[in-house]
Amino acid sequence: MAQALLEQVINGLMTGSIYVLVALGMVLIYGVMHVLNFAHGVLFMVGGYLCHFFFTRLTGSYPLALVLSMAALALIGVAIERSVFRPLQGNLRNQVIASLGLILVIENLVIALWGPNALQLRTAATERLVAIGELRFPMQHVMIIALTAIVVAAMFGFLKWSKFGTALRATSQDRSAAMVVGIPVERVDMASFALGTALAALGGALVGPLFLVFPQMGDAPMVKGLAGILLGGMGSVPGAVIGGLIIGVAESVSTLFLPTDYRDSIAFAIMVAILLVRPRGLFGLRVRGEA
Amino acid sequence: MTRGLITAAVIAALYLAPMVASPYLLHVLVLSCLYAIPAVGLNLMLGYTGLVSLGHIAFAGIGAYTAAYLMVDVKVGYWAALAIATLAAGGAGAVIGSICLRFRSHFFMIVTLAFGLMLFSVMNNWDDVTRGAAGFPGIPRPAGFAPLESFYRLALSAALLAFAVQWGVVRSRFGLILVALRQDERLAEAKGVNAALYKTAVFALGSALAGAGGVLLVSFLRVAAPGSFTLAESINAVLIVIVGGAGSLAGPALGALLFVGLPEYLRVAAEWRLVIFGLLLVLITLFAPEGLAALLGRLAKRRRR
Repeated sequence: MAQALLEQVINGLMTGSIYVLVALGMVLIYGVMHVLNFAHGVLFMVGGYLCHFFFTRLTGSYPLALVLSMAALALIGVAIERSVFRPLQGNLRNQVIASLGLILVIENLVIALWGPNALQLRTAATERLVAIGELRFPMQHVMIIALTAIVVAAMFGFLKWSKFGTALRATSQDRSAAMVVGIPVERVDMASFALGTALAALGGALVGPLFLVFPQMGDAPMVKGLAGILLGGMGSVPGAVIGGLIIGVAESVSTLFLPTDYRDSIAFAIMVAILLVRPRGLFGLRVRGEA
Repeated sequence: MTRGLITAAVIAALYLAPMVASPYLLHVLVLSCLYAIPAVGLNLMLGYTGLVSLGHIAFAGIGAYTAAYLMVDVKVGYWAALAIATLAAGGAGAVIGSICLRFRSHFFMIVTLAFGLMLFSVMNNWDDVTRGAAGFPGIPRPAGFAPLESFYRLALSAALLAFAVQWGVVRSRFGLILVALRQDERLAEAKGVNAALYKTAVFALGSALAGAGGVLLVSFLRVAAPGSFTLAESINAVLIVIVGGAGSLAGPALGALLFVGLPEYLRVAAEWRLVIFGLLLVLITLFAPEGLAALLGRLAKRRRR
């Protein structure tokens, strides 16, 4: 039992890490621009496809493909921000609806280009096993958890100590005040979008080798990431990290007691239950644009 | 006056369509009607009240599966099953809606999305009742409406009934209050409106309409499959309402006709038609946020001048 529990906790930390990458990107974009980008999941998926493309067609090196797909997605993120979300600034409903339109465009564009079938992305790290106690995990699991931890630490450092990170936090706290003190808020918008979509790409590129690359691969991480954000408190970066991990571990551990078919519902049930008790989530201090 | 005449002429033409239309065209028209019914429900919620639900089609699923269970397993008659299923979807809408409505704006959208996915998961996995992912086969069409032409008249009548309900609601005091809630909820509450009650009521009504549409859809397809009630379908419903024109009476009809008809007309591969639709949606939110109905209205006005 303890063995099984440990195994599920580690599995949960792995999937939770993926949710954290998605949630971090969404929370960054939400915090700065107050945009809830439902297309984040399909961008995650594009990250997986581009990584596959760069890996099998261009470079043959998985780490390089990872970085390239993040860079490509950052560019796509900037393009989307400038062409769609900036013109709709301040119109919450239309931003959401445009993001739904983007889901259709991007997902079906990918299907048109690569076909509807799943692609295999075979890397060395999925074949090699690592022993933890008596349990064995693919190297990729460990890599995902470690890389996410590094990204989270880097993100905290960036937001806390770098000048641009400070500007980003300032913009998220009070946009007009940030403008008054001379922060180029539009550049901050672009940067947060680029960073957010690059993180999504990292997530997609990291799970690709484990669960194949397919057009719907981003759907579940997107909604779970959202659940993590709400759980942690909308707009809170530490909340997104902890929320994402809680969702990942909870749904993994739930498979020990409940049929796996209902694993997806666990995340939402937890989210709704916690929100009913604590409408601002676990760490949410303020709720912007609530009314 | 002219508008009434035009509406009457269009309705008459639609009823006479089976005399000239090919079975293929009728099929497309039936689907348009069946997509329009849940869209009317969503239009009341999204267009008039400003509630963007991302799980709307899950309530169509509740209606569809309730009716399937009643008709096939309990052997209840078609019309009784349809009525009970509609009420069941409405009741589920009242209960789930009252939870979702404790949240606002983004939070409301996410919670409706989460409920939509949970309901889908139940449809997909509760094998004993819903037959799981394979779908629930053997759903009948009502007696006398089995051939395509007569089913078309049924679907058309149902859609018209939905539009009549929408028209009645919008004209009523209830409808005025819904619009007031969209425009300024605090002000409406200060005037003594019980916002939570009215919003729950419109959520229930919208869900009931979705449920009725769901029943007719699965009896047209003769099978209820979870694939008809996915998140993607809920997004499509939002798309239909927005493209047609949120908060306009004819919006859902235009949206559904365009959503079902235009791709068939374009005759391109499925993924490209959705790319085109997605682009259309983005362009409409960017350049014509009031939707096609308003756009057509503006064009007509300009013509007259």
